[in-house]
Amino acid sequence: MTGSAFRRQSFAGLPADSGGALPALALVGLFFIVPVVALLLRSVTDPEPGLQNYAALFGSGTYVRVFLNTFLVAAVVTFVTIVVAFPVAWMLAIMPPALGSIVFGIIILSMWTNLLTRTYAWMVLLQRTGVINRALMGIGIIHEPLPLINNLTGVTIGMVYIMLPFMILPLVGTLRAIDPMTLRAAALCGAGPLQAFRRILLPLSLPGIAAGGLMVFVMSLGYFVTPALLGGTSNMMLAEMIAQTVQSLLNWGLGSAAAFVLLAVTMALYAIQLRLVGARRLAGGL
Amino acid sequence: MTRPFLSIRAVRKTFGGFVAVHDVTIDVPKGEFLTFLGPSGSGKSTTLYAIAGFQDPTSGDVLLEDKSLLAVPSHKRNIGMVFQRYTLFPHLSVAENVAFPLRVRRRPDSEVKRKVADMLALVRLDSFADRYPGALSGGQQQRVALARALAYDPPILLMDEPLSALDKKLRQEIQAEIRRIHRETGVTILYVTHDQEEALHLSDRIALFRSGRIAQIGTGEDLYLRPENEFVAGFIGNSNFLPAEHLETQNGTAVVRLADGSIVKGVKATHKLDRGQKARLMVRPEAFRLTPVPGNASLAVEIIDAAFFGDRRRVVARTASGEEIDLRPTSDAAEPDGTAAASSRQIFFDPASAFLFPA
Amino acid sequence: MLLDYDRLGWLRAALAGFTALVAAFLLLPVVFIILLSFGSSRWLAFPPPGWTLKWYQELLADPAWIDAALTSARIAAMAAVLAVLIGLLASFSLVRGEFRGRQLLRGLLLTPMVLPVVVFAIAIYAFFLRIGLAGTTTGFVIAHTILALPFAIIPIATALEGFDKSIEDAAIVCGASPLQARLQITLPSIRIGIFSAAIFSFLASWDEVVVAIFMASPTLQTLPVKIWGSLRADLSPVVAAASSLLVGLTLCLMIVTALLRRKLSR
Repeated sequence: MTGSAFRRQSFAGLPADSGGALPALALVGLFFIVPVVALLLRSVTDPEPGLQNYAALFGSGTYVRVFLNTFLVAAVVTFVTIVVAFPVAWMLAIMPPALGSIVFGIIILSMWTNLLTRTYAWMVLLQRTGVINRALMGIGIIHEPLPLINNLTGVTIGMVYIMLPFMILPLVGTLRAIDPMTLRAAALCGAGPLQAFRRILLPLSLPGIAAGGLMVFVMSLGYFVTPALLGGTSNMMLAEMIAQTVQSLLNWGLGSAAAFVLLAVTMALYAIQLRLVGARRLAGGL
Repeated sequence: MTRPFLSIRAVRKTFGGFVAVHDVTIDVPKGEFLTFLGPSGSGKSTTLYAIAGFQDPTSGDVLLEDKSLLAVPSHKRNIGMVFQRYTLFPHLSVAENVAFPLRVRRRPDSEVKRKVADMLALVRLDSFADRYPGALSGGQQQRVALARALAYDPPILLMDEPLSALDKKLRQEIQAEIRRIHRETGVTILYVTHDQEEALHLSDRIALFRSGRIAQIGTGEDLYLRPENEFVAGFIGNSNFLPAEHLETQNGTAVVRLADGSIVKGVKATHKLDRGQKARLMVRPEAFRLTPVPGNASLAVEIIDAAFFGDRRRVVARTASGEEIDLRPTSDAAEPDGTAAASSRQIFFDPASAFLFPA
Repeated sequence: MLLDYDRLGWLRAALAGFTALVAAFLLLPVVFIILLSFGSSRWLAFPPPGWTLKWYQELLADPAWIDAALTSARIAAMAAVLAVLIGLLASFSLVRGEFRGRQLLRGLLLTPMVLPVVVFAIAIYAFFLRIGLAGTTTGFVIAHTILALPFAIIPIATALEGFDKSIEDAAIVCGASPLQARLQITLPSIRIGIFSAAIFSFLASWDEVVVAIFMASPTLQTLPVKIWGSLRADLSPVVAAASSLLVGLTLCLMIVTALLRRKLSR
């Protein structure tokens, strides 16, 4: 009784408490909902009413290839990110805080550094005459420069770089929430390191991996900047295609239809994500 | 009776269809320490919140010196309150916390300074003035909260389970502090708790709440020695209830027959009962004795378990009709042991110390 | 024992080594850009044949870069102020309000964070073309405020959830009016959240590229738009100089944040 009844009718309830969301709602409603809905309408009305934009989108090999490529890149990026992030998160979860804070500092620095700056660095590093190719040739591993940019390799490296913090940070939380006692108990039960990992640690961290992985996948699907700068024309991704269709081709109907497809897929995955972790924890990951 | 200082008149509070408080009426004289005691959900906190102004009663009135408080918003009621949780302002030092109510009242600096010093001296935290709440223990935080609540000399101090977050030892320590502060300041205190020991230790009077009603209001002795109904008898202290049949009442004493057929005479008759009416005889565990005293009633039991607790023994026994009863006989030399498990024996109690309630 | 740092054995060395590698991977581009910005090679040869400050001179002598930086700062500051104010009001409503659809509203207000920016970018661009806000500062600020809003709401709402409402009630019993209690007690108590909200929403606007690319006009360019344009044209070392300055700014922000947090959370 004590707490709940009290809060329900608390006397400090200024009108602001119920009406406070109105400015935000007005802003988001007028300048977010209205434009997005208008855009979706445009996909079935521009240049004339009908589904011809969607027919063009799914009927053309070019656009279907863009869809497939988008999913492929997002999947590859997600997989690599998980594989790289897990050991790091594991280490960060248990290492002494003094040492860990250095790694955390580096992660935050990379996350907060301007997106274009980071992508630019990779453009320079990965180019034909870039440091990486020169270094590899210098030590004699390769004799010809590797094509590292304007292809799937480039996009993957650049995207993994950007997505890593979004995977590592929530995973550290998941791993820290696991009681070390459970693993000590597993050891006493006779489980070797490999078995303890496979049967205890991995299953217990699976919710975190799934949530983080889904987030990385969704973000990758709609990513624009990095694929546009590091990818090649042959493996264009959806976001870039949408931007080009609207900006260069001025084909608003087709662009809107593609945007709607991206929006629908994103929102569907986002809904699954909410189921998995709940809005609160998703938001708390920031 | 002179005009009451604080008067709670027929206060009723409903939440939807649920009646949290049923027409509670209490008069509180100035300077009294009155405790609202009761299980959770009994309406004690809701009544307190009506006085604080956190919740408007559905009907009824709260009068302070004959003026209704209901139309006055909380911040103008000039009431002091200590909360269940630690509610110190985390970004202000101890002194600034205590000064806060005086600052919002725009009292002159010199007065604020003097008052803060007085209050911190009152709760014996003078040396903590510049600390921040985060650096204080729970007990210290509640003492600062007490100082803050008293800083503006409120006519009434409300305390909503202020010690429930503290461990037992600290609780006892701060109970002593609260008694001292009540003595020194003479402030009228309304105190909510579900801990009967705390209520008995602190209060002038206790209002025992049950399901939104006051089951009994009176001193601790009243509630313990003269419970008006079975709920009060069962809530305050420990008690055994034995099923009984009322045979007759004469000259204020009743005769009852217990389930095993034994007759008990000389029970105080506080309720009017019909001949043959089913009733329950309540006997406190500490009223039982192992050796007979003239005039005592006796009961044949089988001992189930017995343990020695220093000044008292704790014995669990079963009557012939199957009721388990709890005994706490004193363990002095006059009370021999003879409580080996599974043994049968007689136990004794003074019928005048037992209570009879309608079943 | 897999979660006991002291009992990992050889695995600890392996994990530590891998972590160090990943940390290096994360740090590499940042360090590389800074080194490159001082290199004398126009073609970004590395290691550079010599060291120079000329790219910084070129950068600071170019009014287009300075303009773009100032525009970005102006828009980001306005968007951050708006997002924090609107987000603060909205957070009280989301955390304490008692109305139906509260969870839905929370989801709605956070959607701009999860919706692919490119969808929002073309939507708002089309909308602004129609109502004449495309290429204007107002349009920029509105669009960036929407994108920044989730970054303002999340830390403020989190801080507010962690703040015991009884403390505000205690202030009111002490005699503070509800408004006074909120201004003098609640807001100072959640200041870390408000401060984080300001930083995050500023960065959300300052670093925003996609909407900016669509919204920009020849006379109104933000820094990311300017960098984007340069990247598409060539990989001039001037961009490295600009990027290095941005990294410096990020470092400053991180240090200020860490210091302020430590001071505020005392």
